[in-house]
Amino acid sequence: MTDTREITLTVNGTEHTIEVEPRQLLVHAIREELDLTGTHIGCDTGNCGACTVLRDGEPIKSCLMFATQADGSDLMTVEGMEDLPEAGGELHPLQEGFREEHGLQCGYCTPGMIMAGKALLDENPNPSEADIREAISGNLCRCTGYQNIVRSIEYAAEELEHGEI
Amino acid sequence: GHGRGGMGEEVKRKEDQRFITGRGNYVDDIKKSGMLHCELVRSPHAHARIEDIDKSRALEVDGVVAVLTADDLLEYDLATMPTLMDDTQDVLVNDKVKFQSQEVAAVIATDRYTAKDGAQKVDVDYDVLDPVVDAADALEDDAPLIRDDIEGQEDNHCLDWETGDEEATAEVFDEAPVTVTEQMLYQRLHPAPIETCGAVGDYDPGKDKLTVHMTSQAPHIHRTLFAQVSGIPEHKIRIVSPDVGGGFGNKVPIYPGYVVAAAASYVLEQPVKWVEERSENIQSTGFARDYDMQGELAATEDGEILAVRTDVLADHGAYNAVAQPSKFPAGFFNIFTGSYDIDTAYGTLTAAYTNTAPGGVAYRCSFRVTEAVYLIERMVKVLADELGMDPAEIRRKNFIQPEQFPYESPTGWNYDSGDYEKALDKALEMADYDHYREEQQRRIETDADKLLGIGISSFTEVVGAGPGKSCDIAGVEMFDSAEIRVHPTGNATVRVGVQTQGQGHETTFAQIVAEELGMDVDDITVEHGDTDTDPYGLGTYGSRSTPVAGAAAAVASRKVREKAKAIAANELEAAEEDITWDRESGEFHVAGAPDRSISITEIAAGAYMNKPAGEDPGLEAVNYYDPPEMTYPFGSYIVVVEVDRETGEVEFEKFVAVDDCGNRINPMIIEGQIHGGLAQGIGTAMMEHVTFDDNGNVTGGDFMNYLLPTSMEIPNFETGHTVTPSPHHPIGAKGVGESPTVGSPPAIVNAVVDAMAHGGISHIEMPMTPDVVWEKLDEAGLAADPA
Repeated sequence: MTDTREITLTVNGTEHTIEVEPRQLLVHAIREELDLTGTHIGCDTGNCGACTVLRDGEPIKSCLMFATQADGSDLMTVEGMEDLPEAGGELHPLQEGFREEHGLQCGYCTPGMIMAGKALLDENPNPSEADIREAISGNLCRCTGYQNIVRSIEYAAEELEHGEI
Repeated sequence: GHGRGGMGEEVKRKEDQRFITGRGNYVDDIKKSGMLHCELVRSPHAHARIEDIDKSRALEVDGVVAVLTADDLLEYDLATMPTLMDDTQDVLVNDKVKFQSQEVAAVIATDRYTAKDGAQKVDVDYDVLDPVVDAADALEDDAPLIRDDIEGQEDNHCLDWETGDEEATAEVFDEAPVTVTEQMLYQRLHPAPIETCGAVGDYDPGKDKLTVHMTSQAPHIHRTLFAQVSGIPEHKIRIVSPDVGGGFGNKVPIYPGYVVAAAASYVLEQPVKWVEERSENIQSTGFARDYDMQGELAATEDGEILAVRTDVLADHGAYNAVAQPSKFPAGFFNIFTGSYDIDTAYGTLTAAYTNTAPGGVAYRCSFRVTEAVYLIERMVKVLADELGMDPAEIRRKNFIQPEQFPYESPTGWNYDSGDYEKALDKALEMADYDHYREEQQRRIETDADKLLGIGISSFTEVVGAGPGKSCDIAGVEMFDSAEIRVHPTGNATVRVGVQTQGQGHETTFAQIVAEELGMDVDDITVEHGDTDTDPYGLGTYGSRSTPVAGAAAAVASRKVREKAKAIAANELEAAEEDITWDRESGEFHVAGAPDRSISITEIAAGAYMNKPAGEDPGLEAVNYYDPPEMTYPFGSYIVVVEVDRETGEVEFEKFVAVDDCGNRINPMIIEGQIHGGLAQGIGTAMMEHVTFDDNGNVTGGDFMNYLLPTSMEIPNFETGHTVTPSPHHPIGAKGVGESPTVGSPPAIVNAVVDAMAHGGISHIEMPMTPDVVWEKLDEAGLAADPA
């Protein structure tokens, strides 16, 4: 076996200390060491974005980073969305938006899409359609044709603006 | 609909909750105690003899548990497997590899990284042979022989097929005042679902039972085939298709990886997971299309189409592993007379083996209907341009008329229903057609920087395979099934033989049952994908779920209703013949006394606690539905594009899709299907292509080179619909999932051709990347130099 290193990741608000090989990709650490299997793998070239998570608030493709590089980071995955204050103990408006606007079908790109949407709305609470399309342009979806995903994120933007938190 | 989630209601999806919270359960999410990981060693060559495979260095890697080659599988008679088209495909190769990335050995290790380490240390000694990756080259006399494993095979010829009347068609062409011909390649594509293929094999020696969780669109058929190949009896095999991250036809065939994972778990008596990477998925699993088609139309001067003729060269790859009904070697390609009343047609097809991965039928093709529709809809545009006719008018002139249905086509299809002009008219209006025709002319006259093109496709689909008398998969007739069990407290579990991969079956099948039984959609759970518990079905592909299992769900519901009637009579203290079902309210009532009513939910308890004398307890029913005919949804799509004369870039100005799939179960879900399928149509027309170099290397084999459209390339679609129910379907519904990908590519190509038609361009090959379009602009003298 290769040498391992101990790293600490704060994921969805909980601190985890895990042993990983230096070559282990962050996406595998999230899925296999932490059992957070909402984050998916759709390609081997960094194109699809199914593995998108937030690292210190920024969207990253977790297949393009070693777990050791994320040592000390604050990560957020789709599993953490319901715990956010704006979710009010239920679904986050983004999650609600995807269901209300039929922004998912097979569901495989959805977690990455939701994280990309979250990164956008954190930065720009009132995005235009063009802003949304650009923000998710690193996330491939094979089912929806994107139109309803755009609507889903618009739905969330409206909810977050008008909704009670 | 009755307002509680029945037919036609936009019910939000039941399956969304788990997917939006990251709680879906896809194959790679499965973790089992002691689970090992499998990595396949693949051929770097397209065509090479294997001299030797040395496992020793791989076996020295810490954590590598086993290295399997064909020799290990031979012991279990698993080194080869039958394809769905009566060919034999290697699971692991020990004599000669026939395409790049073909499976040669399998390394089983404690984790996926170690398995990869091991795979890199398997030393395979190859004697490289000349490859042939082009179907035309493969049929040359001096082409290297690919299939020397087939007895009597002397060349790379795979099969011949014909349809229609050769002589009559030749006569019409000889005498026709107008004929047009065009050669068009429907390029090799790949469905590329975002989740790749994978499996977890888990043999339990205690129970002597093999469980395989796998990305399967057809779990029951896969169980039967596993049983036939392995010799393990079917009742000792359980296939589970969990949540599947998109299928699009990619997950219909059985791939070597599944067999290896199952065989390895059997041999090692530990669970074994195999999950392929993206490049493996594109390079080795079922491709789509690859039909090189010559199209010909014969017509009168005023545009009446007299005959169609086509000759196709098909590339089937190294094995004939096309996933289609066994009696249809070219799928349903002979639907190529399309939406038009054409008396005479003839088609021939030759398929070749090449040193490429096998496949052909996949990616929303409805068994080669994509190719058929592309052919006829492109040719109608070619004819319209030849005659100087408006492409909408020429379609209108040739449409099969509503009163002609059921309509028998010259190649033997029996179209169920249609009103093509209505759909076209609606699309023309939505697209503001006349305005864009004027704008197109204005741009030509003013020598504008961007040309405008308008493309139409008025297609007819054929989905819902199919009648058992003609349609079977590996001998199993193509019925499907539903089993409905109403529980004592009034809710129900429904199990179906089809397998969703995102199309929303858990919601829409519940809606069918809710409608038929007057139940609330929330009181119904739909299950699928587990061969131990679900009724046998043929799976989901070819847009067959609604036509076949949808019908079964309705018929099974009606059986439940029939039995419930007796219970209702008992509960209402009336004679059974006085009990009527009111679809509006979803209740039984006593004839003439609507206030004496009772719902299925209310009488469920009666079936278990107060059954009428002479009735069996319980309230459930099953139906295996053998469809009498296929369903023939149709639509008209209109695409308006702007073509940049400087760069060859194409922008979508307007994209209108009018679909008619008969009665609509859930309009929201249909719209989602249309959007997704149109996006794939745009991918097809604009960017997707699996390419090879002369050495047989796959040069378009990952997401760097096989381009999928992103949110930036896909426009907003305007969808509309008409409703022409299928007369033979229990709820008048037709399939629709594949219509958008079948219908849209010709509309898009027609639009780009249309932008350059005044320069004499009659065809552009897909994918229409900017360089391809720019060359055509240049050829037509329409290209503009950068200022």
